Amino acid sequence: MGLLATYAANMAIAIRTSLMDRTNFILNSLGMVVNDIFFLILWYMFFAGFRQVGGWGLHDVARLLGLIMMVVAISGVFFGGYRDMAATILRGEIDALLTQPKAILPRLLARESIATAWGDLVMGIWMLVTFADLSWRDIPAVLLGLVCGTTIYVASAVAYASLAFWFAGARSFARDLTDFMLLFSSYPGSIYSGMTKVVAYTLLPAGFIVLTPVAFLRAPSLQSLAIILSAAALYCVLAAAIFHVGMRRYRRGLVATG
Amino acid sequence: MLSMTPTARADLLLPGTLAAAWSAFALGVRRNLANWPILAGRAIFYLVAMAVLSALWDKVSSQRLAGTLASALPDGGLTLYIGVTEWITLSVASIHLRLEDDIRLGMLEPHLLRPKSYIVQKVAESLGDTLGRLIGIGAAALVALALSGHKLPPLQAFAYVAVLGPLGAAIGVLIYTNVGLAAFWVRRVLPPYIITQKIWFLLGGLFAPISLYPLWFYRAAVVSPFAASIFMPGNQMIAPSASAFAVELVAQLAWIAALSGLIALIWRAGLRKVLREGV
Repeated sequence: MGLLATYAANMAIAIRTSLMDRTNFILNSLGMVVNDIFFLILWYMFFAGFRQVGGWGLHDVARLLGLIMMVVAISGVFFGGYRDMAATILRGEIDALLTQPKAILPRLLARESIATAWGDLVMGIWMLVTFADLSWRDIPAVLLGLVCGTTIYVASAVAYASLAFWFAGARSFARDLTDFMLLFSSYPGSIYSGMTKVVAYTLLPAGFIVLTPVAFLRAPSLQSLAIILSAAALYCVLAAAIFHVGMRRYRRGLVATG
Repeated sequence: MLSMTPTARADLLLPGTLAAAWSAFALGVRRNLANWPILAGRAIFYLVAMAVLSALWDKVSSQRLAGTLASALPDGGLTLYIGVTEWITLSVASIHLRLEDDIRLGMLEPHLLRPKSYIVQKVAESLGDTLGRLIGIGAAALVALALSGHKLPPLQAFAYVAVLGPLGAAIGVLIYTNVGLAAFWVRRVLPPYIITQKIWFLLGGLFAPISLYPLWFYRAAVVSPFAASIFMPGNQMIAPSASAFAVELVAQLAWIAALSGLIALIWRAGLRKVLREGV
């Protein structure tokens, strides 16, 4: 059974598990919809008072939010294990996977499907269809942005979670970093300059997750395309390398688990 | 109760409970400070978040668009206000995650046999954890403020914030404790957590003082625990006032009492459910 087939099988189980408890599934999904609505209200009230920020109005931010909601949704449904990976490492749950033949990282990513992500999926599609002012011709660019944005988002989350191989208190910190990445991805691109721009394009790569894809949607160019694809590849390699080094520590018993 | 030993009975008395809670609180502070690399990371990200939010408000202020609320912004901008609101929100410990783990994984049951109240111990530990973060992030904030050359508010503003800030963070811990106790009924507390967090941001005025919003919104928000948690301490940086400080202090203490009562009610209801039906 190939890697992809194993991943698909694990993921199908995870999704079925998340759907098993109907009440909780509905509660989770609706909870996320309500959360997203509150977030929209937050920005709506901001723009009602201040109209625009550096040329970005409510509709530009709605396009940005639609993309990031879709990225979080796809990550949550199909790679949901990223969310609590640091805790999984710290609880020593990797032990059970060490003796199995398949790669560990995909198994960790596929161990959970987050029910709340379905709420994000609904809201993301709704935002892109109603507010983002997109046409049918934009669909390939949107899909490319979603694939690359999701890749970078999950890769970054894996890198943050891998801090658990070094620090016992990394569970909460890894979540905080992921939340920060989301926070950065939810602000108009026009506010970033100097150091904040550097951070947004390196440590918390919101720039590559949504800002560059949004720029690509506005004005498609080979340069933007190359940047998005290169960033996706680079963050994938980085995350895999950090996880691999961490696993070497884990195998040598240098990680405090339990 | 009749079969309970005198020792166990004595442990349930208030002084014993308070002593144990104090130990848990001190443990939380010490553990947080001992984990200094993580604390340093939080401080760095506080500064990064501040840089982003300051950039947002600098952009808004520099435009000064006619007919917008930009003209209502305070002279010194909102950097100090956001500095306080972010300091508090980033310092609140993630007690909801710990409660979710213990409740969902069945780790609660062994604690029920012990003489000390599980929930009091957890809340006290999280308050200590929160204080450790407040110290670490607060120190970073003060250093950054000194280096920035930003115009400082009067000294009494810092004194007011030193009292209202930790109490605001305590309100945050109690809010998240209520969220964590939802694990008795739902599999994951993520939905109630994120909804509560966004309501907190909105009604608490994380990004902008609620006084900038329409009057009807302000009136609804200011009587919420969210405003008591972050708006009230933050507002002291914009408009320090002894009379406002007194009113805000009373409001915070009232919310701490109310939220603690709510925790006790939910905890008892949750325990009844677990003992009757299991998890």
